[in-house]
Amino acid sequence: MKTTHVIAALTAGLTLSACATGGAPAKEAPKLAQPSAAAKLSGKIEIWSWDVAAKALQRLAPEFEKEHPGVEVDVRDIGYDNAYDKITVGLKSGSGLPDVITLEDTAIAGYAENFPGGLVDLTPVAAKYKADFDPAKWAAASNAKGLYALPWDSAPVGLFYRRDYFQQAGVDPESVATWDDLVKAGEKIKQATGKRLFVSDLTNPAAFTTLLQQLGQGYVKNGEVAVASPAAVRALTLLKTLKDKDLLQNEKGWDGRVSATKQGKAATQPTAAWWTGTLTGEMPELSGKFGVIPLPAFDPGGARTSANGGSALSITAQTRNQDLAWAFMEWLLAGKDRQVSMMRTESLFPAYLPALADPYFDEPQPYFGGQKVNRLFADQVRHIPPVELSGDDKQAEELLKKAVPGVLLNGADPRTALDEAARQLAAATERKVAS
Amino acid sequence: MTAAHSAPVAAPAVGPRAPAAWRRRTVPWVFAGPAAALLGLFFAYPLAASLLQSLQTEDGGLGFGHYARLAGDPSFLRSLLNAGLILVVQVPVMIGVATVLAYALNQSWLRFRATLRAAYFLPAVTTLVAYAVVFRVLLRTEGGAVNQVLGTQVDWLNDPFWARVALIGSITWRWAGYNAVILLAGLQAIGREQHEAAAIDGAGPLTAFTRVILPQLKPVLLFCSITSTIGTLQLFDEPMVLTGGGPGDATLTPILYLYQVGFRQFDFGYAAAIAWAVVVLIGGLSWLQFRYVGRERA
Repeated sequence: MKTTHVIAALTAGLTLSACATGGAPAKEAPKLAQPSAAAKLSGKIEIWSWDVAAKALQRLAPEFEKEHPGVEVDVRDIGYDNAYDKITVGLKSGSGLPDVITLEDTAIAGYAENFPGGLVDLTPVAAKYKADFDPAKWAAASNAKGLYALPWDSAPVGLFYRRDYFQQAGVDPESVATWDDLVKAGEKIKQATGKRLFVSDLTNPAAFTTLLQQLGQGYVKNGEVAVASPAAVRALTLLKTLKDKDLLQNEKGWDGRVSATKQGKAATQPTAAWWTGTLTGEMPELSGKFGVIPLPAFDPGGARTSANGGSALSITAQTRNQDLAWAFMEWLLAGKDRQVSMMRTESLFPAYLPALADPYFDEPQPYFGGQKVNRLFADQVRHIPPVELSGDDKQAEELLKKAVPGVLLNGADPRTALDEAARQLAAATERKVAS
Repeated sequence: MTAAHSAPVAAPAVGPRAPAAWRRRTVPWVFAGPAAALLGLFFAYPLAASLLQSLQTEDGGLGFGHYARLAGDPSFLRSLLNAGLILVVQVPVMIGVATVLAYALNQSWLRFRATLRAAYFLPAVTTLVAYAVVFRVLLRTEGGAVNQVLGTQVDWLNDPFWARVALIGSITWRWAGYNAVILLAGLQAIGREQHEAAAIDGAGPLTAFTRVILPQLKPVLLFCSITSTIGTLQLFDEPMVLTGGGPGDATLTPILYLYQVGFRQFDFGYAAAIAWAVVVLIGGLSWLQFRYVGRERA
C-alpha cells in the first residue's frame, strides 16, 4: 500500500509538472475594453478570496447586487493555505479560475511575469485612478507592460512602542528620528528595564525586506539582481548591529511574536498598521501601554515608513463577464464609501487615498492612550517607497531565508552573505547582478 | 458483465469469415484498449511531456541546461543531503522498531492482539494534515505537551537540529506500525515447528530470534527497506506541513524543493528536471536493493 501511495504521489507530481508543458503560449494580456456607458450590467461573477478579505466581500456583495438588480456576485472563501496552488494550476492550465481573484502584492509580479495573458490588463479602465492610490501598491500591481490588479488595502509601517518602558528609561519617543537614535535609545532602555528593543524572527528575512523597501529598493533593480546592493547591505548591517548589541528578541513565527509582545518582552515593534488589530484583539489588558511613531529614518529626512502586506484584486483572462467584474472592483475599491466601511469593519487600511481624508481616521484611539494612530498611518501611506517587484522574488526570498539567518544567527558578514545570495539568484534566473 | 454480452454481438460485425487467429489477436486489445488508453493519457503522456519539459531551455531549444544547473544548485544538493540523512538514520530505526513490534504482536500470550495491531496501524491511515496539526501543537516550544513532559524548552520546529529530530520522529510514528504489520505477516509465515526445533536444540528466545527468525525474515525486511527508501526520497507531506522545509533549508527534501521551484517560483522546466533526477536516484537505489535480494535468493 505504501508503494502504491508512493507511486501515486510520484505520478501526481510528474503529472502536475507535466501538465505545465502544455502551457499557455506567450501572448499579450487581454486588455480590458472600456465598457460603453449605456451597457446594463447583468449576469454573474465569482470571486476567490480568504480570511478577513473574504468577509468584507461577503458583507458588501449583497449591497452591490441591490444597486444592480439582476447581477450576482458569488464570493468563495478558498482559504489561504491552498489559494496560491489553486491559482497557479488555474493559470497554467488555462481553466478553472473564477472571474476575480485576490492576490497579495508580493504575488502579483510573479503571476504577471510568468503567465502572460493570464491576468487582464486593467490599464484602459483603471489608469485614470493612478493618482488616487498608494503609489507603492500601484507599482506592485504594474509592470512595464500593464496594470494587473487594482490595489485594495495598504500596510504602512510605523514603530509601535511601550510608553511605560520609554518613560522608565527617560527616553522621549518623539526624539527618535533615525535608526541611529533608536539603537541608542534601545541600549538605554535595555539598561533601565532589561527589555530588548523589538521582537524579530531571525530565521525569516521579513524584517530585512521591510527595511530594504524603506530604502526604496526591492530584490531587483532595473531587472538586475540587487540583493547585494549597498542598500541591501545597509539594511542587513542595521539588523546585525541590533543583534550584536543584543537588542533583538528572537521569537519564532507569528505566535512567538504575539506571545512575546503580550508578555512585554520588547520595548518597540516596527510593523504595519494591521498590528493594531492584533494588539486590541489579543492583548486588551495592555490598553494604554502602547504608542506609535513613524518608523525611524535611515538618514535624517529619509522615508519614515515602509510596507508589510496588503492585497489587490485581479481579473483573470478566463472571465466571461469582464464588464461586471470591473464594475464591482471599481465600486468596491475606487471609492471612499466602501473603503472606509472596510476600514471600520474589517480593519482593511484603504489604499485609495481620498478615503484617508475621512473623519474616522481622526478619532482618538483609547487603546493607544487617545493617540490618533490611524491618522499617523494614513499620513504615511502616500510616502511608502515604491519598489520594483519581479517574477523571481520568491526565488530571492528562498535564498534570503538562508543568507539572513546566516548573518544574524551564525555571525556571517552581511556583504559576503548577500553577495553569495546574489550570485546564486543571478545563476538561477539568468539575470545580471546589479553593479 | 457487459463485456460478456457484447462479445457475441461484436463478432458478426467482424464478419463470419474473419480468421480465428485475427480475432485472437484483436479481442484482447478490445478489452485492454480502454485501460491502455487511459494509462497512456494519464501516465505515459505526462511522463514524456515532463521529460521533454525538463530538457527545454529558456530560448525554446533542447538541452541539458536544467540538469547542469541541478548539479551546482546548493539547495538541491542540500535537499539530497537531508534525504540521505533521514535515510541513514530514520529507516534503520523505524525498521528496528517495527521488527520488535511485530515480534511482540506475534506472541500468542499477548492479549488484545487485534486491537493493538489496529492501534499501531492507525497512524498510517490517519489524514496527514490532522496528524501534522496535532504534532505542531504537541511540539510547540512554549506550553507544548512534549516539552512539558520532558521538562525541556526545546525549539522543536525552528532549531535546525531539533527540527530534523522532530521530522524523523513523526515519520517513524506514522510508518513504524505499517511496517510492523508487513513484518508480522512475514513472521506468521514461519512455521511453529521451527520455533520448537530451535527450543529443542537448546536455543534461548534471543538466540532463536537472531539465528532462526531474523534470517528467514530477510526478504520481508528488504521489501520494507526498499519501500521506505523510496518513501524517504519522495518525502513531502511532513516537512511541508510541519516545518515548511525550514529553518533555513534544514528539512528541505527533494520533492518539497520541486514543489517550491514549480509552484512558488513557476520554473516548471527546472521542477521537471528535479523530478527526473529523483526518479533516476530511486531507480538506481531500488535496482541495487533488488539485486541484493536476488543474490540472497539464488
